[in-house]
Amino acid sequence: MEPGTAKRRKLDHADGGPTFEAANATASTMGSSGASAFVLETEELLKEVKFDYGKASSDVEDVLRQLKDVIEATEPHDPFPISDVTVNFEKKNRITIPYPDPQPAKDAPYKLSFEGPAEVNVAGSWILKTNTKSQPDLAVDMIVVMPSSIFQEKDYLNMRYFYKRAYYLAYIAADLREQLGATMEFVFDHMHGNMLLPILVARLKINANRDDGSEKSNSRRKSIPAIRIIPCAPEDYFPAGKLTAVSNAIRQGKSEGGEDTKAPTPFYNATLKAEGLFPSYLRLLYRTVKSCSAFKDACVLGRIWLQQRGFNGNINHGGFGHFEWAVLMALLLQTGGRKGEAVLSPSLHSTQLFKATLQYIVSANLQKKALVIGKDSPDPESLRQSMPVLYDTARGINVLYKMTPWSIAMLTEQAKWSLSAINDSPHDQFDPLFIVKADQPLQTFDILLSVKLPTSKEGVQSVDRKGFVCDFSTKLYNTVKKALGERAQLIHINLPETGTWPVSANVPKTKNASLLVGIIIDPLKASQGRDYGPPYEQKKEAAKFREFWGDKADLWQFPDGNIVESLDWTEYSYLGSPGICEAIIRYILKLRLQVADGDLEFYGQDMPKVISFAPSEKVAFDAAREAFENLEGDIRNLGDLPLHVKQVAPISTALRRTSLCVPEFNFRKPLLQPMEVVVSFEVSGKWPENLAAIQRAKVAFLLKIASSLEEVKGNVRTHIGMENTTRDDENLAFLDIVYEDGASFRLRVYSDLEEALLDRRTKDQTIERHVRTEAAELLALYKRMYINLPLHNQTISTFCTRFPALSSSIRLTKYWFDSHKLSCHFNEEVIELFVLQAFLKPYPWQAPSSAITGFLRTLLMLSRWDWRDEPLVVDSAGSLSTSQRLEIGTRLKAWRKIDPNMNRTILFVATSHDVSGVAYTHDGPTKVVATRMTSLARSACKAVKEKGVDLGMRSLFQSPLRDYDVLLHLSSKALKSITRGDASRRSQYKNLAEETGLGALPLLEPPARSLLRQLKAMYASPLLFFHGGADDTVIGALWNPQLHARAFTAHMPCSLTPSGGSGSGSGSIRSDKEGEKGGMYEVNRNAILAEIARVGGDVIEKIEVVRE
Amino acid sequence: MLRTSTPSEEFTELPISIPPLPSFPVEATHWTYLRRNAPKVPTPDDSRSLFIANIPCDSTVEHFRALFASLVGPGKFETITFEHDKKPSWSTHEPAQATRLAAHGKRKREEEEIQHFEIKVRATLPPTWSRKVYPSGSSAVALFADEKSAGLVLKAAKKLKKPKHYPVWGKGVRDIDATPLGSQWLVEHNKLVFPSKDEVQASTDAYFTLFNKMEKEARQLAKRLRNEPDEDGFVTVTRGGRAAPARRDEAEEAKQKMMEREQKKKEEMTNFYRFQMREKRKAEQAEMLQRFEEDKRKVQAMKEKRGKFRPET
Repeated sequence: MEPGTAKRRKLDHADGGPTFEAANATASTMGSSGASAFVLETEELLKEVKFDYGKASSDVEDVLRQLKDVIEATEPHDPFPISDVTVNFEKKNRITIPYPDPQPAKDAPYKLSFEGPAEVNVAGSWILKTNTKSQPDLAVDMIVVMPSSIFQEKDYLNMRYFYKRAYYLAYIAADLREQLGATMEFVFDHMHGNMLLPILVARLKINANRDDGSEKSNSRRKSIPAIRIIPCAPEDYFPAGKLTAVSNAIRQGKSEGGEDTKAPTPFYNATLKAEGLFPSYLRLLYRTVKSCSAFKDACVLGRIWLQQRGFNGNINHGGFGHFEWAVLMALLLQTGGRKGEAVLSPSLHSTQLFKATLQYIVSANLQKKALVIGKDSPDPESLRQSMPVLYDTARGINVLYKMTPWSIAMLTEQAKWSLSAINDSPHDQFDPLFIVKADQPLQTFDILLSVKLPTSKEGVQSVDRKGFVCDFSTKLYNTVKKALGERAQLIHINLPETGTWPVSANVPKTKNASLLVGIIIDPLKASQGRDYGPPYEQKKEAAKFREFWGDKADLWQFPDGNIVESLDWTEYSYLGSPGICEAIIRYILKLRLQVADGDLEFYGQDMPKVISFAPSEKVAFDAAREAFENLEGDIRNLGDLPLHVKQVAPISTALRRTSLCVPEFNFRKPLLQPMEVVVSFEVSGKWPENLAAIQRAKVAFLLKIASSLEEVKGNVRTHIGMENTTRDDENLAFLDIVYEDGASFRLRVYSDLEEALLDRRTKDQTIERHVRTEAAELLALYKRMYINLPLHNQTISTFCTRFPALSSSIRLTKYWFDSHKLSCHFNEEVIELFVLQAFLKPYPWQAPSSAITGFLRTLLMLSRWDWRDEPLVVDSAGSLSTSQRLEIGTRLKAWRKIDPNMNRTILFVATSHDVSGVAYTHDGPTKVVATRMTSLARSACKAVKEKGVDLGMRSLFQSPLRDYDVLLHLSSKALKSITRGDASRRSQYKNLAEETGLGALPLLEPPARSLLRQLKAMYASPLLFFHGGADDTVIGALWNPQLHARAFTAHMPCSLTPSGGSGSGSGSIRSDKEGEKGGMYEVNRNAILAEIARVGGDVIEKIEVVRE
Repeated sequence: MLRTSTPSEEFTELPISIPPLPSFPVEATHWTYLRRNAPKVPTPDDSRSLFIANIPCDSTVEHFRALFASLVGPGKFETITFEHDKKPSWSTHEPAQATRLAAHGKRKREEEEIQHFEIKVRATLPPTWSRKVYPSGSSAVALFADEKSAGLVLKAAKKLKKPKHYPVWGKGVRDIDATPLGSQWLVEHNKLVFPSKDEVQASTDAYFTLFNKMEKEARQLAKRLRNEPDEDGFVTVTRGGRAAPARRDEAEEAKQKMMEREQKKKEEMTNFYRFQMREKRKAEQAEMLQRFEEDKRKVQAMKEKRGKFRPET
């Protein structure tokens, strides 16, 4: 419809108004509505983080002017031989000239002189105004362009330029210190961790002037960032042709062979090249700011994104910082397309610029191929180097020269993960992109090890002056990458930090430092026991393979006769994938890099023993599954059931690979706790039309199945068991089936009519309210047992095959809940969903690939989850629409409105199958417990963040018992004897013992659970119990603080005692109150504990009162 | 310790001294509160029974027999009924059809009672706990030999002043009478949960004999109602054809079909007229606007929660 038509005008008129225009504008640029939330959120973010220039800039300008004046007024001097100048200068000024390594030779023939700078200017983010508040290294860059008169053209060779530069810097430093030393302090640093480029950092002294040192001026001083004084080369001074990536600019002595002198020095060359390009890039960025209004915001977004991932311009932090980001974007705004057209449009919104840049980084495939932006691309051969390449033809430099192979891999992966977050769901893309700190090693990497730097630099240092640490880590990276091959998805190396040093000291040496290597494994391939190399016939490749692997390489013949080179790691197979990878790394580093075992340290070795990574547990789960399939077949083959079996659905954790205890059984030792199963029959009209009668009919069904099974299969024993219920219209019974081989199952029968009847009852307006609520409760129970659980089981088992690390992550997380005594409040399904969510929405990472990362990210998810007003939506089938999500949110709001104090339904966990959100949390944790879960998760995440790799994993699973009021110590001996059932001999009911003595009965549930259930029923209001897994022998309990002393009622919340009855001297108060309404009554704690002691009998060893 | 006050006019405090146990070696006092039983619906035994509030969780008849024996001598106490032993609600066991017809008032109350009783007695499933424990703070009604005995108990309770005179809980209960708690109790529970199949079978058979009888009666009643005019000359309309009343699922199927038909009809007529298209587009726009507003609100809410927009460090 064109805007000109009458109708259109009319419509416009009707809807008109500024809001509509605004909405329309955003919506039209952003597409779907979820994006608009993202836009709004980023706008808020920008407002929040942007550095407030207004306050600081005038102060900063004063300081800058002072510095500039001093620098410009520095005395020039004539050239003298370098050795003389150095000695004289250092003696006179007590400043060690920060010459890069190696120091200039004493007899070096060239001379040093000083002349005033050609230009002194402010550059970098300060001038672009793209700093953020949260920036840890906030500083103003001040470039000092050295005059060309002090250089010669040949200075590009053999570090001569860098020696002169160092001297120039030291000279300025001396002058500055003399003139401004009273108010400022000066230290040296390496620019971007580049060993070739020392710079001077000036910082205002706090409390420098006592006389005007009022609070206010000090606080203003604090707000002034550090100023980095960066000497740089005159523009276009050095010949570009000599400084390409393949040319050599460092001529070694004659002693080395002729070959070595030609080795290219790309890093050195690029550094030198970049020295002359400061103004040029500044102009480029400045122009872009002018031409594209959203550029600055996009730069800030890029800065935050990089910062949250631990990237910045420093070589030790990836060498890709805000500058590189801005340059990349500026270049893409000009050109970069296939035919030289601009990739980005200046009219885009900042979020779109940001997303498009990410997209570009991902699609550019910088790890593998060199990227050239601009016209007249040079010969690709001339760009070849070990570093990633993004070549800016206009300025003739590789922008990414500071990056390393692993940092570009990491950057690409991070960008990929962020993009998948953006593409996944519009609703939760903001936090993972900008808020979450994504560079936490424990949550990112599956294997972490530290490698001590070797003391001898023999054979590692290269001609390229990148520094020993870099050279060694590149070697390490290449070796480990080649050795692990497909086992590793990503390998990253954290380099040790370099810091500033005082002007009077030498350049600090990296000593005793170690590298932190993080590896993300491919869980499918990492546990292979054997690696296969090239075929034996390909002599050349085979020889290479043998050369790389040394003695470990052997030959392997396939059944079809082919012989290949191969490696055998099967002796480590029992340790699972981490064990194998560790063995490989230890072996290859020893062989190739002579790293001794003592210099390697693998972290995370103190994992709790519950999770053995052994493949044996997989076998056990497979066996359980197989046993279930047997059962299903047997039930289906029963000929004489009145109805056809429609489905036999497993609902047990053991049958979805998530039970904490591995289901191990054999002929002699049957499975104690049967695995639960639901049987449903074809739809039939034969079910009686009455709830209670249906339950009886189910019992009849179970009896029928039992007798038929025992008849058909001789090796099966069955037991009918009574459900623990007081109602007669709830499920009454279950059937335990024990096979001869030890597998045991617990069968329940599903009837579809039950649901219809319950549903009708909940909606029936004619019956009483309490009956309807009861029916609703029953319906919830019913749905959970017969509808949600089978679906849940199916979902989780599917995802356990899709994510190999899911099963062990879930089990580890369950262990955490157990060890903090929370698990008695949570349905196991909820915990499984928590972990599944961490796998389905792993942003800002990819799906976890090991138990530890899976577990830690689940904790992170829990710590960030504000269950007060956020539902947890686990969209396992990927089928929830936007409106459904909104509906889930609305439902939660409705719950909170009805129950603002949150007395029930605390956690709201919706899945694709169950949008009601309360299927597993209906009877779930109370507010106290949920709060405890969150605070425990928070403190665990804090520990992970603060301690990093030094964190002892086991400390996350230690829970102090001092937090509880009362501790019930259970006797593990008594519990064990109950579990074994050998207490039956002592039973006084001789007849009962004989009747059931045919075979050991299955265990209903762990005895501690039975006891706890009874205690919970008895003391629902005065005590809150905490208990972990079945073998946890301590029950913690808290007194309800809301049970105050109260007046007398016949219906008591719990056992009460008259106030002051224990002689606490409050007699007078009591008599006061007596006059009006009689005495007050308070919880009779001792009597209650004595009761517990009586009920627990010999099961409770000791009741310990921790707090009164 | 001197007790001067009473909980209220009606209640008399009865302290019970609780002997220490190895697992909790603290001497405690449990307080129960007595009063003459006066339920809303009076029963003939009210005069000789006492209402006891806040009984200990592990109470049994034997415990109270021993307790009252030590207080007023043996032979006065008859029995005790615990509040939680009374099944609060027995759900109806009638076939649905019978319930519907009962709405017509043709069935007799007593008949129902008798049936319920039969179900209770003959078709109950075995209990799963050898001894019940009661929620903290429950109550019970104790029945005494006569009114005088009950009065004696109240008097004796009022007289208790010194803790050493307090009756001791569980003293005088013979081991044979008290089912043990603790590990034996739990073992017993695990055993009782799995009753013999014959027992369960018998109970189920008994149940369905009754249930089938009720169902048959209901069917006959329905048939009769279809054919017989009532005293005003009206014939009750029931579902179904001439031969037999319709089944529930048939009716539902028919309803489903009708709904489907309507749905189809509706779908055919949407997006047909120009005005429909126009309105649809209008609605879409309005919805978009609304969503935008919602997003704005959401962001606002996030802003109010401090720190939501600050990148973590």
